[in-house]
Amino acid sequence: MFFHIDPTNGLAIYEQVARQVVFAVAGGAIAPGELVPSVRELARDLAVNPNTIARAYRELQARGVLESVRGTGLAVTQGALANCREQRVRMIRERLQQVLLEAKQSRLDPGQLRTLVQSELAAIAEKGTGTICRNGP
Amino acid sequence: MTPVIRLDKLSKRFGPQVALQDVSLEVPPGVVFALLGENGAGKTTAIRIMLGLLEPDSGEAEVLGLRSARLGLEIRRRVGYVPERLTLYEWMTVGEIGWFTAGFYGEAFLPEYRRLAAQFGLPDRQKIKNLSKGMRAKVALSLAMAHQPELLVLDEPTSGLDALVRREFLESMVDRAAAGQTVFLSSHQIAEVERVADIVAILHQGELVLVQRLDELKAQVREVTFTMSNGEVALPDLPGEILAKRQRARQWQVMVRGLGDDQLARFRAASGVCEVESRVPNLEEIFVAYIERGRETCQEVPTP
Repeated sequence: MFFHIDPTNGLAIYEQVARQVVFAVAGGAIAPGELVPSVRELARDLAVNPNTIARAYRELQARGVLESVRGTGLAVTQGALANCREQRVRMIRERLQQVLLEAKQSRLDPGQLRTLVQSELAAIAEKGTGTICRNGP
Repeated sequence: MTPVIRLDKLSKRFGPQVALQDVSLEVPPGVVFALLGENGAGKTTAIRIMLGLLEPDSGEAEVLGLRSARLGLEIRRRVGYVPERLTLYEWMTVGEIGWFTAGFYGEAFLPEYRRLAAQFGLPDRQKIKNLSKGMRAKVALSLAMAHQPELLVLDEPTSGLDALVRREFLESMVDRAAAGQTVFLSSHQIAEVERVADIVAILHQGELVLVQRLDELKAQVREVTFTMSNGEVALPDLPGEILAKRQRARQWQVMVRGLGDDQLARFRAASGVCEVESRVPNLEEIFVAYIERGRETCQEVPTP
């Protein structure tokens, strides 16, 4: 799992870490049963305060994505895949909300918006999936 | 829990120059505490007083429960200190300076120093005067950390160093914090501080204008942009603390602390307001707002 942390982008660092773990699970980069790096390892790796990593991991445990394996560390739970896919959909919905808000502020009417969405969906269907640009939160 | 560092109403002036004015703060154990401030704000003065290298005009400083004014030597033995201007014996090699310093500490010092020096890629037989700036900084850090001190005090440790060395320093700080030790750092590298600090403090012209947990600060501060219907309409009264306020034509940009996102929705409906946008500012922007506000306040006070 590779992480990218941007402390200046407005999203709390622990939230960035938690989201990236969720995306990694949903996308198959890390599978149920596999261990996540220790707090100390990851904090050092990312040069980030260990408390923020600990907080991210606590969140993920509360959400049922990670569980403690006695003596070894934290591992992805069996139910995490479905869970993370759901969370990913929720995050996509949030992103969609932001885009729709912007569209509304640009005075696009519902009809124009639907046309926009449909043409983009059609373009993806034709080209297959493009590469997701991971800049930004 | 005894604080690792306790400053109580510290004041210090050098002739007419006020270095510190009534500065009080407490650093709890196990945190990364970052002190920010412009050049000449008083950061190094505070650190020197803390470590018993300088006497304050008034007020008290305590480190690890020891009074700085009387027990400075004991404090400096127990603390790892990397000063802003390094003073290393130039004629010694990397290995020799470790061996020499080990004489002041227990048996565990030298193997730990060697381990750190190897980790940092320091050439054992090279004389310090022939090392690059970054290498010398790493020697100083290795010497400071080799006796596993409970508190590491770093005064602008990475200023002038390249990105790779800065990264190594950050990783070390983070590692110390993960091991439960306390790190007190004064810095200009605000982006770095934003990654690693638990608590941030801002010193402006000798006065402490902010001490807060970084996560709390970022949860409370917002940069809000109001678009008004025309340039004459006054900004609605905002709750919370206004840190900065600027106007350009029909827009106002405000940095405000303690204004909830739910309260923002109300303002969208206020008369004269066309649009309200909000974002989370980064630490550098928050820092600049505090400093500029400090400057404005100074200008209002007539000079005696």
